[in-house]
Amino acid sequence: METVLEHGPQAQATSRPPRTGWRHYLLDAGWIRAGWMMCLFWAIGFGIVVVFRWWAGWEPLLKWQPITVVATLTAAPLGFLAGIGAFDYWARYAIGAPTRPEDHSTHGGRNWKDYFRPNTDHKVIGVQYVVTTIVFFVIGGLMAMIFRAELARPGMQFVDNQTFNGLVSVHAALMIFLFVIPAFAGLGNFVIPLMIGAPDMAFPRLNALSYWLLPIAGTMMVLSFVVPGGAFAAGWTGYAPLSVTQPLGTVFFNMGVQWAGASSILTALNFLVTIITMRAPGMTFWRMPLLVWANFTTSLLVVIATPFIAGSQFFVMFDRVMHTNFFDAANGGYVLGYQHIFWFYSHPAVYIMMLPGFGIASEVISTMARKPVFGYRLMALSLLAILFLGFSVWAHHMFVAGVAPWLRIPMMVTSMIIAVPTGIKVFSWLATMWEGRIRFSTPMLFALGFVSMFVIGGLSGIYLASVPIDIHVSDTYFVVAHIHYVLFGGSLFTIFAGIYYWFPKMTGRMYNEKLGKLHFWLTFIGFNVTFFPMHWLGTQGMPRRVSDYAPRFADWNMVISIASFFLGASTIIFLYNMITSWVRGPIAEANPWHGRTLEWQVSSPPPYFNFDEIPQVVGHPYEYGVPGAQHAVFNGDRTGVLEEAHH
Amino acid sequence: MRRGSIVQLIAIGVVIGACATVVALLIPWLPPDASEERDGIDLVFWFTTAISIAIFSLVGAVIIYSVLKFRARPDDDSDGAPIHGHTGLEIVWTTVPAILVTAISVISGVVLVENDHAASNALNVNVTARQFAWTFSYPKQGNLTSAVLRLPVGRSVVLHLQALDVIHSFWVPEFGQKEDAVPGQNTSLVITPTKIGTYPVICTELCGLGHALMRTSAIVMQPADFEAWARQEQQALKGPPGNAGKAVFTSNGCASCHTLKAAGATGKVGPDLDKLPDYAKQAGKPLADFVKESIVDPNAYVQPGFPKSVMPPFSTLPADQLDALVQFLVQSSQGG
Repeated sequence: METVLEHGPQAQATSRPPRTGWRHYLLDAGWIRAGWMMCLFWAIGFGIVVVFRWWAGWEPLLKWQPITVVATLTAAPLGFLAGIGAFDYWARYAIGAPTRPEDHSTHGGRNWKDYFRPNTDHKVIGVQYVVTTIVFFVIGGLMAMIFRAELARPGMQFVDNQTFNGLVSVHAALMIFLFVIPAFAGLGNFVIPLMIGAPDMAFPRLNALSYWLLPIAGTMMVLSFVVPGGAFAAGWTGYAPLSVTQPLGTVFFNMGVQWAGASSILTALNFLVTIITMRAPGMTFWRMPLLVWANFTTSLLVVIATPFIAGSQFFVMFDRVMHTNFFDAANGGYVLGYQHIFWFYSHPAVYIMMLPGFGIASEVISTMARKPVFGYRLMALSLLAILFLGFSVWAHHMFVAGVAPWLRIPMMVTSMIIAVPTGIKVFSWLATMWEGRIRFSTPMLFALGFVSMFVIGGLSGIYLASVPIDIHVSDTYFVVAHIHYVLFGGSLFTIFAGIYYWFPKMTGRMYNEKLGKLHFWLTFIGFNVTFFPMHWLGTQGMPRRVSDYAPRFADWNMVISIASFFLGASTIIFLYNMITSWVRGPIAEANPWHGRTLEWQVSSPPPYFNFDEIPQVVGHPYEYGVPGAQHAVFNGDRTGVLEEAHH
Repeated sequence: MRRGSIVQLIAIGVVIGACATVVALLIPWLPPDASEERDGIDLVFWFTTAISIAIFSLVGAVIIYSVLKFRARPDDDSDGAPIHGHTGLEIVWTTVPAILVTAISVISGVVLVENDHAASNALNVNVTARQFAWTFSYPKQGNLTSAVLRLPVGRSVVLHLQALDVIHSFWVPEFGQKEDAVPGQNTSLVITPTKIGTYPVICTELCGLGHALMRTSAIVMQPADFEAWARQEQQALKGPPGNAGKAVFTSNGCASCHTLKAAGATGKVGPDLDKLPDYAKQAGKPLADFVKESIVDPNAYVQPGFPKSVMPPFSTLPADQLDALVQFLVQSSQGG
């Protein structure tokens, strides 16, 4: 395979000779340097805290909460990043050492080792993201298995209350911050530059850095289980003042969110600049595939909203470590302030976790039904409508929280209105399938499963938007059912659809279709049996986040627990299929689905710089069934192209 | 579209709608209705359910019809019809959902305003939430306090909620009403019980280790029974110390975390109070001093095996009530 850009002669001339022997292992970017630099930075952080406390005359000198925050959760991760090489280029630039702007030696996945170090190729980063997030998905899922075992019967059987609350909190935090959000970022990372005809993302080194922030955040959240007092246990929402008074594990959540949030923001900025400035000639906004639209909208949400959760977690941490009183009512703090700031991020976060899925569904349904996306422009505009409305509904999480009464009806109305653009999308997907020639491959099954399950999640959302019903069902299992219909039936089904859909493009091999379909049906059945009964458990009176419950709910909880183990087991089929197919699946064609978007016009996997020549975009991406229509041409060859009129 | 396919589509939709209706009717979705506020909530619930069943049936019908009719044969690699959109349809599926959600919003708004309105003769009850107990006090009934919420039937009640430590949330499923108790803030909730009976009071906001056990009962009684109970409780507080101590024990919710045979308490969150003499020995303090200290400053000595900082300090108890409580605990734990 030819790459377009090679190391220029100048680049060779300015770089110094490579290190050899032990100096190479110890001093060159890699896991060994990451290891010792992590320890060194931890020691520096430790020293800063101790010296500062000694200088200020504070007792005791060794106070573990500030030491944990500064040394373990801030300095050590920075040391790791520096050691693994995420800052090398910038560090050389900053100290005036010669940099190599044309150096692409860390670009492209040539062998498996390239996936275990910072790599500037968006395709490698995309795979790193997806694999890492699946690891955390499995860990988070296993936690759910443990607390479902506890909940199978009333009373306490396997874990104590602290562990139970910790499991519930870490499960949610991992699934949200380490799985759904970054899994979409990973799929987008792989696909978006290809879809818009770009050689890479706009800031490849920033892209590499934003990936490496992620395992740090995830490790932090999982590690909180081993610190004294146990994992953070105030729920993933971490409401103050409970989170202020919880054991040490809470700061692992406070800081884990900062690292994950920084990763999100950097990726979103990268997406925005890439989509705005790096589209191929002819790729106007109205010719972009809907996944590109979806990531564009999501990235806007991320950059605007994410700083708010960062702020809310810093406030909690300051209250804990520096004895500020943001949320201490006795000292003039404002308890509800936490929830306002938290939900100002965390409601838009629901759309951060859903809009990319909408994009994936549009790609898969159009390609598999062999039809243009119905009402393309309205589909794109409804994404933007959700973006704007998404910022005006946060208080619907707080209808019973003691907010000002006048805030409730306006927030109910805006929440209800979001059903309109969402409805437009659902009906448009249905219309896209109508009169199609539908191929029921695994991605299509997951996309259809998504549409049907998301409708249930959307409808239960209307119940929660209505203030009187919400007053009855908020903080109950009805909410648990709703979020899982939206985030599992919605986000996870589209993530699975996306992984199966682009698996041949990412790995160059085809997955096993039979196992894929089996995985779908087991997941679909297990999912519904697990989560549907939670609706009536909630309306009947079972609160969420309880380790023990009234005996009258015992039967359904047993059903739910058994179904959840079944659901967990279905993931084994997925993992088996992915691993074996990646290792020895049949070689994939360039375009197994006969898709029309640009990523299918290059080899599987694509060349290191995506396109050997820049594509010329000449039409819409979904012109299935239109005679002679083309989305893009290569070679500047425009002969035989029908310039299409705007509809 | 041919007429035949419309008929098939409608038939599938009707079957799905019928199934969904059966699920809606056979499952006991809502607990028994025991308050006026629940009437309104139930109305909005079923109104929304009817609309939801209609929309779900429509979507389900189109999906199933498409799966059956538009499946490509294995050898067919042709494309579907190049339909790009239909302005009329798009207007319909923008406006119809907008009208439906507006209707739900209007009904919800009316019910909300109605449910927030308390009658002028409302009974006021102060609700104090702390980890992990509820205390209800009745300002017009000589400030008597109770760990169980007792309410007269048919009279509207305003609960004034306060939290001493973290956020808690008051919910009685049969009443349908719920509101958080927030530190540093006064919140309130209106309930008008309509049926005599005993209902669970549940904390629905994660409040720490004992959250799942932060439960008590709401007892709705005849107004005359309620008055009789209030008089009797007021007298008990003034009675001999043993009784007064037991009343303080009960009204401060100690039973939700602790076991004490003399008070019929079976809580398992905190240490077993029947073993107080043993604990005092381990702490190396005289029993009465130890008991008093543990109530006022629970972290001074925490029995091994129990987490620290779970029990809130009860330093605000009036001195006479504190003494009565200590005396009661000392006597009953020594088997007297």
